[in-house]
Amino acid sequence: MIDGLSYGLMIVGLIFWFWGTLPLVGDRSVLFKLHSLSVSDTLGSMSMIAGLLLKIPREWPLLILALISLAIWNTVLGYVLAYCSYRDEDDD
Amino acid sequence: MTVYLSILLRLIIWFLLTSDLSLVNIIIGVAIALIIPHEAARLPILKDWIRVFWEIIIAVPVAYFEALEIMIFPHKKEAFLRRRVRPNRTPGLIFLDIFLITFTPKTIVLSYQEDGWYKIHSVERDK
Amino acid sequence: MNGIIIAMLLALLIPIYEAYRDSHIWQKMLAFASIATKTSMMILVVSVLRDDWMIGVVGVLILSVGNAALMLLAHVIKRSDEAGVYEP
Repeated sequence: MIDGLSYGLMIVGLIFWFWGTLPLVGDRSVLFKLHSLSVSDTLGSMSMIAGLLLKIPREWPLLILALISLAIWNTVLGYVLAYCSYRDEDDD
Repeated sequence: MTVYLSILLRLIIWFLLTSDLSLVNIIIGVAIALIIPHEAARLPILKDWIRVFWEIIIAVPVAYFEALEIMIFPHKKEAFLRRRVRPNRTPGLIFLDIFLITFTPKTIVLSYQEDGWYKIHSVERDK
Repeated sequence: MNGIIIAMLLALLIPIYEAYRDSHIWQKMLAFASIATKTSMMILVVSVLRDDWMIGVVGVLILSVGNAALMLLAHVIKRSDEAGVYEP
């Protein structure tokens, strides 16, 4: 039961990964790609870590730390990339 | 108040990283948390902090919901918005606001303007 | 578990291809950010697969400090862009 749930969460994370990473190859703007990357790299990876957490609950302190730092760093990196690349394209 | 919060944050990270509650480890953690330099305290409003932490807990399911929405319905249009910053925000609270807006997949903060506006980029559903 | 690792490797190939293909600097940075997250997630999953938590600690450390370099690089590119040193 728990095993199935953890595999389910990891597969959901993988679906998010593929859905969010495939637009990277297209010709959309940097900002549009950032939106889909935040789906895949932040939310997809978070559900994968949740799946791992169900699989080995004995290592919860490190996995919780990984979960929190993943959410914070990826979001802040998204903001920094948006901020830096936007000024580059047109000055207002 | 900010000092206590930052010491608490450092201790939480330390104990999660080492996952060891022996006396020596606690002493090392507390000593490091006290020694690392603190920023000057600016009277923060505790009520605002509690509200922001509550909003972060709410933001996780909201973010997953928005992600499913983007996946099921095509969102092709891009738009720029401006949103007002709530008054009397300390830099820490502004950082958390930016975190909250950027965490949800439909919106990304582009820049924070000193006169009190966030510049936001968002994707929208095409009709 | 093996199937998950293989699927993750396939997903990792997409940003690598994008970084190779696109010469626009910000698109490349985006691909690198994606590669950074995906590889550290793979480290975590491999550590669970091999039941070796020493690898896992490395993965967690990379997740919590690894992106700082990319942020610094983004700021450096922005600065040199404004100074006209680099033409994208």
